[in-house]
Amino acid sequence: MTKLTLAVAKGRLQAQTLELLAGAGVRIAREAGTSRRLSVEDEAGRYRLIFVKPMDVPVYVEHGIADCGVVGRDVLLEAEPDLLQPLALNIGGCRIALAAPVGAPRRADRMRRVATKYPRIAARHFGARGVPVEIIELSGSVELAPVLGLADCIVDVVETGRTLQENGLRVVEVIAESTARLVVNRASYQLKAATVARLIADLGGVGR
Amino acid sequence: MSEPLSRIPGGMRYYFGAEARLRRFVEDAAMTVFDGWSYEEITTPTVDYYALFEHGMGRREARRAFRFTDADGSMLALRPDVTSAVARAAATLFAARPRPLRLCYAASVFRQRPQSHAQWRREQAQTGCELIGSNADAADVEMLVIACEALNRLGLAGQYSITLGNVEIFNGVVEGLALSQPLREEMRRLVDLRDGADLERFLAPYASAEERGAFARLVQLPGKRSVLTAARPVITNPRARAALARIERLWRVIEALDLADHFEIDLGDVSGLDYYTGPTFKIYVRGAGGSVGGGGRYDLLTANFGRAEPAIGFVLDLDALTDVLLTDNEGSAATAFEPELTARALTGDDQAALFTQALGGRARGARVRLNFSEAEQ
Repeated sequence: MTKLTLAVAKGRLQAQTLELLAGAGVRIAREAGTSRRLSVEDEAGRYRLIFVKPMDVPVYVEHGIADCGVVGRDVLLEAEPDLLQPLALNIGGCRIALAAPVGAPRRADRMRRVATKYPRIAARHFGARGVPVEIIELSGSVELAPVLGLADCIVDVVETGRTLQENGLRVVEVIAESTARLVVNRASYQLKAATVARLIADLGGVGR
Repeated sequence: MSEPLSRIPGGMRYYFGAEARLRRFVEDAAMTVFDGWSYEEITTPTVDYYALFEHGMGRREARRAFRFTDADGSMLALRPDVTSAVARAAATLFAARPRPLRLCYAASVFRQRPQSHAQWRREQAQTGCELIGSNADAADVEMLVIACEALNRLGLAGQYSITLGNVEIFNGVVEGLALSQPLREEMRRLVDLRDGADLERFLAPYASAEERGAFARLVQLPGKRSVLTAARPVITNPRARAALARIERLWRVIEALDLADHFEIDLGDVSGLDYYTGPTFKIYVRGAGGSVGGGGRYDLLTANFGRAEPAIGFVLDLDALTDVLLTDNEGSAATAFEPELTARALTGDDQAALFTQALGGRARGARVRLNFSEAEQ
């Protein structure tokens, strides 16, 4: 059987992804899950798992270095990679939302400067409404930007809303719902069809 | 501040050494195969009117071209494909020639915006062939066996897979559902992503749960003859059934030629809907992250130039194939294309003697390499 390389998004999704994979019969040794190794084999020797930053998952899969990946829909909406998305997974649920300081005007067209890790999602959102905005791209702690006056609002991922609340922000508008997805390289899908089909069936069985 | 002259524009590069030689070998191998099937070489203009590509490739694809204006203000483009210009030539220059026309080419195409992040190059070397003026099943088969021969000649036997589809299956199903344009596009997107669950949800207003599930499974995974068996009860629209029957006829020939190992049927390939009008195929090779070529039937294209006739063609991505061969057999291929290792080194102070020896070697077809002494003069 052909071995598959599977890119797993580190951070928020990693533990849930490994749990889901274990349920589908892809198990890795406990120490491998907690160590700093970025590449491990599963116990059956059928998969190689690589751990990369969420934004890098579509990059590895698009180049065919990884055959498949598990990554949030937020990342896919931002990167717009040319990949297959055969399966939505019931993990990593969150919303991509426009948030502003409590007390700021509710109307989205009053937002002038937007701080975000998702510049393309933000540009599409305001572009569709014909609202001109200045997009300030940040790589983290986005909630700080309106507090300090760098931006009027933010476009970011919201899970529980606690971080927003603690920084005096509230959701103005939900732009998209997001859960994790299985993504597959277009060539791998054809050349390793049987192996990929089995992974889809196994994950699909656990996922719903 | 002036920009350093050492810079190279994004997506552009040099080729040299073993890679350049291997590239030439790949091109020669493909062109030799085309020649062997009586395809005549044609070279199309590098710069052409943008309108040609807008009609030839569809607006969405053409927009990826490098564009600029001519002295009279008309919009020009660096050719983003070759087929558009070949189709124009077929309808104009070669209008009086007997059909079918068989034409082939090897050329660079230029795209300002690549389709995927993995496609870094903005100048791509392509080689391809076009069979214009025949709608026979045999024309479809001819394309496939030529593609197989070219891949075998490159030493890729057993390492490639060609997927067969037919855009008329999707078009027929959509016609049967009477979908509006935006809904058609949404369905195309879901089929293209192979998102079975969302596709079933999308189809909920149109079909029973059983039919939906069967259709979603059908377009999700490629396979061999079993795909056809599974498709027969699911595909009921006459247009789609005709398309399925055409794949079936093609598959029977493939099996008879003992080529089934190299082929898969993929009813979920909807990537060329704006362009293709019938059977399509895509070529995948182990070691390449994307398809290394593909083609299909484009019966509406030549109508743009005043003469509607059936046509089929395919293209091979020379750069992707070169990359595969280069990484695949780093040892053998790279050595075979390294000139230094096979050259006869010649040295001598007497120029007449040196060149006599060199010319003798050249006459025998040997590779020579002269070492000059720089001391004289």
